Formats: sequence, structure tokens, C-alpha cells
Amino acid sequence: MILAASTASRQSRSSSLARIFLSRPIRVIGLAIIALYLFMAIFGPVIFPPSTALVANPAKVYQGPSWADPLGTDFQGVSVLAEIVLGARGVLMVGVGAAFFIVVVGVAVGLIAGFTGGIVDAILMRITDVFIAIPQFPLLLLVATILNASSPGLIILMLGLTTWGGLARAIRSQVLSLRERDFVEAARGLGLGTGTIALRVILPNMLSYVAMNFLVSITGAIYAEVGLLFLGVTPFTPDNWGVMLHEADSVAGALYTRKSVFYVISPLMAILLLQAGIIFILGGLDEVFNPRLRKTGATQ
Amino acid sequence: MRVVRRFGVSLLMIWMVMTITFFMIRLMPGNPIMDAYLSLLQQGVPSQEAMAQIHVLYDVYPNQSVLTQYVLYVWHLLHGNFGTSIVYAGRPVLPLILASAPWTLMLVSIGITISFFIGLFLGVLIALNRNTWFDNVMSQIASIFHGIPNYVTGFIFLYFFTVMLPWFPFGNIYGNTVTPGLNFPFIASVAYHSVLPIAAYVFGAFGTWTLSTKSAAVAVLGDDFIQADKIRGLTPGQQLDHLIHNSVLPLFTGFVLSLGMMFGGAVFIEETFTIPGLGYLIAQSTSQRDYPVMQGCFLLLSSAVILANFLADMLYSRIDPRIRV
Amino acid sequence: MNEIALSVRNLTIEFPSESGRIRAVDQVNLNLERGKIMGLIGESGCGKSTVAFALLNSVPSPGIIVEGTIEYTGYGNLLKMTPEEQRLFRWQHVSVVFQASQNTLNPLKRIEDQIRELAQAHRIRDVRVLLERARSLCESLRLDTRRVLNSYPHQLSGGMKQRVGIMLALLLQPEIVLFDEPTTALDSLSQESVLQIIREIHQKDGLTGIFITHDLGIVSEIADTVAVMYAGRIVEISPTARVFSGPLHPYSQALLDALPRLTGDPRAARGLPGSPPKVVGNVSACLFRDRCPRRMPVCDLAAPELKRVDESSMAACFLYSESEEANVHVKMH
Repeated sequence: MILAASTASRQSRSSSLARIFLSRPIRVIGLAIIALYLFMAIFGPVIFPPSTALVANPAKVYQGPSWADPLGTDFQGVSVLAEIVLGARGVLMVGVGAAFFIVVVGVAVGLIAGFTGGIVDAILMRITDVFIAIPQFPLLLLVATILNASSPGLIILMLGLTTWGGLARAIRSQVLSLRERDFVEAARGLGLGTGTIALRVILPNMLSYVAMNFLVSITGAIYAEVGLLFLGVTPFTPDNWGVMLHEADSVAGALYTRKSVFYVISPLMAILLLQAGIIFILGGLDEVFNPRLRKTGATQ
Repeated sequence: MRVVRRFGVSLLMIWMVMTITFFMIRLMPGNPIMDAYLSLLQQGVPSQEAMAQIHVLYDVYPNQSVLTQYVLYVWHLLHGNFGTSIVYAGRPVLPLILASAPWTLMLVSIGITISFFIGLFLGVLIALNRNTWFDNVMSQIASIFHGIPNYVTGFIFLYFFTVMLPWFPFGNIYGNTVTPGLNFPFIASVAYHSVLPIAAYVFGAFGTWTLSTKSAAVAVLGDDFIQADKIRGLTPGQQLDHLIHNSVLPLFTGFVLSLGMMFGGAVFIEETFTIPGLGYLIAQSTSQRDYPVMQGCFLLLSSAVILANFLADMLYSRIDPRIRV
Repeated sequence: MNEIALSVRNLTIEFPSESGRIRAVDQVNLNLERGKIMGLIGESGCGKSTVAFALLNSVPSPGIIVEGTIEYTGYGNLLKMTPEEQRLFRWQHVSVVFQASQNTLNPLKRIEDQIRELAQAHRIRDVRVLLERARSLCESLRLDTRRVLNSYPHQLSGGMKQRVGIMLALLLQPEIVLFDEPTTALDSLSQESVLQIIREIHQKDGLTGIFITHDLGIVSEIADTVAVMYAGRIVEISPTARVFSGPLHPYSQALLDALPRLTGDPRAARGLPGSPPKVVGNVSACLFRDRCPRRMPVCDLAAPELKRVDESSMAACFLYSESEEANVHVKMH
């Protein structure tokens, strides 16, 4: 009873939750946007083989939209759409990877600190405080410069290491308040060990919070990654929205001509649209996870 | 007593940040000082000479132990010596930072203030119209802008209002025909150049304030005393005043913290609009690996945030009677 | 009969919900005599607090007053006044002592400043007179005047805040005061002292009021008449003494039976099983029938209306309307 609901009721529950989630059209739009980005990330190189799609063509510099190049071409005559689609994989991979890192480290530190208390808690929280106090992006700049990181793994590691603090602190305070609740007392009364309670009683109760943080962390990590490339701090990978921005800003002279409008706006729109997609489904998740938010009339 | 203790903790944290930065730069793979030393040796510079050059640049001798370097570094910091810039031909770091800071302070403090009041206004308005179309639309918009990084808004404003519609000047913070000083053409030029960067900042920041205000105001609207205010026949103005006053309090800490963050809050905007502020200095020193400048800026940013934290803590007890001791 | 201060006719209040519009208050009729305190009693959720809010036209959202008039003698129907007239009417003519006064004070303002705000809101020029009145009220409420006026709400204890609530309610000398379970949130000691204070004011100044509670014991100490509410309807209005000696409605009897006695066997107190129904739409049967020990066939066929039983009492029960029962039978056959 305490640990898990029965499977049957869970199934009927999940279908009704899906209905709640899809009750607003905007969430369907959100899902469609996310699906579009996943599609670009998975099949991008199939649609636009990098060996042919990214080849410079001096005859086509800064052209407007056409059937061949729906978003026009860049300063080298490369199709902007191809660049956007091919950039999705790297951007999403780093975003998801970093968010995963943040969630794992944040939850682990928060759970351990909240559950052990005492000196372990004090030390972990001091460290967390320092990581929270240090302005995140400048720290990222510093680390990225020193490491001169270009491999996605290293970028994920950097993003993760500089960002986990906030989540860790939030998880800890949730653990502290959940610990006092009746059902945790009950679990303790059943003689379950601390580790079991932490992982099988407390953690499931925070899953919604963690899931939503995961999604928000993805966008945060993507902004930071694109930002690093925009500033030209991390070495170039040829196909990335941030690189497009960097080149538009400093290499291509794009900011001196109106012809470059699709080249300049496309990567920005790619970022905005992804953010919008995630925001749209976040509201739905919120409602699914927090029954209190559902639209029910008040009784007396 | 509490004040002293909290201040002590703040100083301790600044020291920790300083120490972490120092060792990060020295001990991480790709230690820039060792790199520079080795590349000098490779260029055929005699080791004695190379050592002297490194000393001029980084204020350390590569053959000293890291601990000695650390002690020296702290000693110099305590005397206001942040080292010398590599890129800006040996100029000391501190004056460099101090020369850049005013532009950042001006732009960001105006930006924060405007976005805070827009957010406060919208947040209260949304809370008062909860579960209407206005709430649905505005909350989504605020959520999207809440996460948007500054370079997105910066680029859009820059491109649309200097390239597509050439209404505003491009780059720098004042035109090259005016003489800096307390004269009208200069101030007007600065104001003209500031419009877009401030607008970009405001658009990147108002969403956050809107969302925080909304959740605070929704909570206050659920409080009994707001209902009681109506029953006591207080005027709509008085009721609104109570609502805003009680909703602003939870935002106060965030507001002071964002003032602390402002030194580093404009890297993207200053880079996009080429404004010679701190953010631009950070971006430039980073892309050119000017470690002394980076380290100095970073220390300043962190200290500002930590001190703002301390300040927020201390001031909060002054504005909320419930916290008063 | 004395002069009527407030007369409520056909008051009906609904709350929209997923299962339809829940009728929280259904066709309530009340007359409040000047100088008298009426107890309004019922289980939690029976609609008694909603009635109180309606008397100020401040039913909490999403509740709506769908029908009825609220007539204050000398001022007319509150529901027909303009919003500004209603605002000024509230507190100057009818005020409330809230259930949890500790939460009804703005936490960021000292009590004195809250009084100043009231003065401003109600266009009272001379704040000094009002503050003077506040001081003398504080004294009669046995509050440390200087300290209380200079305090923020969180610096006062629960009992003190409740007395501040009474002070604020009496401050503008309203004709009618609504007491919305003013003692429920207090410990028994402060409870007794607050009741004592209300009784004193009632006796000394001839206070007119409605005292809302679920506690029949408290009503016996303070009210002249008692109105019993069940599932949004008034089922009985009787003089207090009668409710305690021989109530008319079976529900009133059940409330009385549930009351623990100081004398006699405490085990004699009997709880009432079940809970009141939520009402959606029009009612076509007695809502109490499922819990009623004296249920009759007619109770399934129509909803009894509140009818005068004798000179002093009214009840909504077929036990007291033989003719009505006959009517229903005639209709059925």
C-alpha cells in the first residue's frame, strides 16, 4: 500500500492522466514541437547528409527563401535549414546529457544531505552554497576556457558541474519536509531501512518535481552551450546554432546587411521554439502531478 | 551578533571562491601559465628570460611551488593588486575593471528596475485575473521569456532595429562625434545608444519577475486578510496596496540578488551590442585567454553576489516586521 | 414583536462545480430583531458561514447569490446598492468578528495603522476620535491598550488577536455584528473570556447580532433565539430555551442529543451517524430523511417548508403540517 499502487489501478490512472494532459490544445502543440526536434536530431543527417549539405557555394551567398533552401542561405551559400536541422542533434544531446547529470548529482546530494543530517549534511550544504553563490555562467566561462573543451562529454560535464547546486538544495528541503509526513513515519514503523525509505518512499514522491526540473535543466543547458559557442569560448563544431550566431556576430558581416535576415533569425527561432515546446508541456505535467491545480469547482 | 556572523560567513565564502579559482587555473589540465612558459621555451627563449617574462605577465615564477604562488597571490590581492592584463599590454587589472564597470552598472540597474516593475504589474494583474484567457496567455508568454537567454533578445533587437529598421545606432555606448563628459550631446548619445541594450535586457528578464510576482500574489490573494479587507469596506485602492505590499516581500531577496548578479548579468548583451562594460571585458578576456583579467572579473562577480546575499538577508528583516528580532 | 433590524428573504446561493451548481444556501428566510442575538447553528458545511458572507454580499468566489433580498431596516436591500454604497455600508452598519481573526489582520501593518486605514476608507475625518474609541474598547476588552495598538499582528497571542478582531468590529459602532465562530480557534480559557466579553457588550449596549457556531453549548450561553441550518436550509427557528427543552425538528433534537451533559451519564450523549447531502438543483424530498429517526412516507415526496408552528417557533418538518401531508397524498392519488 505504501510502496506502490496496484498495477490495474495504475493503468486506468495513467490513461486518465493522459486525458488530463491533453485537455488543452497548447500541450498537443508542445508535444508536436518536441517531436519535431527529436525527429531533427535523429534523422537530420539522413535528410541533409553533412558531406553535401554543408558545402560552401559562393554563388548562393545570402539568398532568400526558395524551394531548395526554405530558410535561405548563409554567408557561405550553405542552406540555413540544413544547418538548423543538423545542429539539433548536438544541441539536444548536450542539453539532455547535462540535464541528466544535474538531476542525478542534485538528487543524490539532496537526498544524502537531507537523510543523513549532521556533519555530512553540513559539509554538503556548505559546498552547495558555494556553488550556488558563484555566478553560474561566468564560472562556466572560466572552466570552459581552461579546459578548452570541445568534446560533447566534456561540455556536459562542465555544464553539469556548474549547475547542480540549486536542485540539490531544493531536494534537500523537500526531503526534510517529507520526512515528517505520516506515510514516511508509517514506513519507518514498518521497519524499512533509511536507504529503502529514501529510494522507494521519498524519491517517488519527488519524481514529479525532479521530472520537471529535468525538462527545465535541458533548456538551461542548451542556452549555456549555445551561449559558450556564441562567445567563441569553446572550439567550433561546424554545425551548431551557437556557431551560427557567433559567425553572424563576428565573422560573416551578417549584421550589416538585411539580406541575412533568415540566417540571423533562424537559430534564435530554433531556440525560442524549443523553449516554447518545453514550456507548453510543463504546464500539462504540472497539472498531472499536482491534482490540486486541476480545474474543479470549489465546494462550499 | 547575527550580522557579524553572517558577514564572517560571506567573507569565508569569498575566500573559498578565490581559492577554488586560483587552484582551478593552476592545477587543471591546460594550466595556462605552464603553457605560456613552455611555449616561450619552445620559441627558443632562454629559461631565465622566459621565467622573467612569465613573472611580468602572471606575477608568478613557474618554478615556485603552487602554495608559494597562492600565498603571494592572496598577499597581492589584499593590497589591491589583481595582476596585469596580458592582452591590454600589461595594464593592471583593477583599473581595467573599474573603467568598465560604470557602463554595466548603468545599463543593468536600469534594466533590472524596469523589468522588475513590469513584472510586478503583470504578475499582480495575472493573479487578479486568475484562470482567465489573460492568465493563460500571459503566463505562457512570461514562462517562455523567463528562460530565454539574453543573446536571443539582444540579437533580435539588434538586427531588427539597427539593420532591418535603422532607427538606432549600432555598437558602442556613445557616438564617436561626442566628447565624454558632463555635456548634453554626450548624455543624449549615451541614452540613444542605451535604448536597445536595455530593451533587450528587460525582455530577457521581465518573465522571471512576472512569474514570481504571480505566484506570490496568488498566495496572498488566498490569505484571509484580503477577504477581510473587502468585508471591512476598505477601498479598492487600499486592498490593492495590501496585495502588492504583501506580494513584493518574497521578491525582495531575488531583487537584491539580481543587483548582485548584475556585474555579470550582461555578458551577452554587451557582447552583442559591443558595449565596453564588464560583460564585454569578460567575453573578450575569455576568448583571448587573458587569465589575470578573467580571474579578477570572476572574483569581483562572485564577491558581489555573495555580498548581495548578505545584504538581502540583513535588509529583509528591516522590511518584514515578522522577521524583526 | 420588536423592531426588525435585518430581514432576509429567499436567499439562495450556488457554487458552480463539475457535478453541477451546488446549492450551498437554499431559500433562507430570517428576521433579526433589534437588540437580540440570534444563534445560527449547524454542522460544518451546512452553509451557515456562507449565509454570513452573503449578509455582506461577500460570498467567496466562485459562489453566487442567485436569488433573494437582504433588507437592512432603514437602508434597503443591500444587493441593490451600488458597489461604493455597499463598501461604505459594510463595517459602518454591519461588521464581522471572524473565525480566525489572527489571519484577518494585514501582517505588515501595526494595529493602529490598520485603524487609520479604516478611518480613511470610511471617510472619518477625525482619526483621533476613532483612536480614542479604539482605546476605550481595548480597555473594556481587557487589552493592554498602548501595547496592542503599537503591535504588529504576529506580536499578539491568539486570544489577543481575537479580541482585537472584536474591537475592530465594534469600532465604527455598527448596528449589527456577525460573529462567525469567533471562539472556534481559541483554547477553552480564551474561549470563555471572549464569550464573557460578547455577553457583556450585548447586555450593556443592546448589541444586535448573529452568532454562528456548530457548538450548541455556546449558543445556550449567548443567543436569544436559535436558527438551525441543515444542508443549506433553515429547519427550525425557536427561542433558545425551547431548543434546549424541547426542540421541534428531529435534527435539532439530534444536535441536542449529541451534546455532552455536565450532569448525568456522559455516555448518554449520542452522535448522529451519516453526513448531510450536497444539493444540486431543486429539492423534491426532505434532505434529512436518511438520518431522521422519525421518517414518514411523505418525507420522500416533498421538501418541507419552514412554517410557523406556534407563536414563538417555526420548523420545516412534516411532523407539524398535517394538512400538507394530506395535500401531497391527494396529489399522488
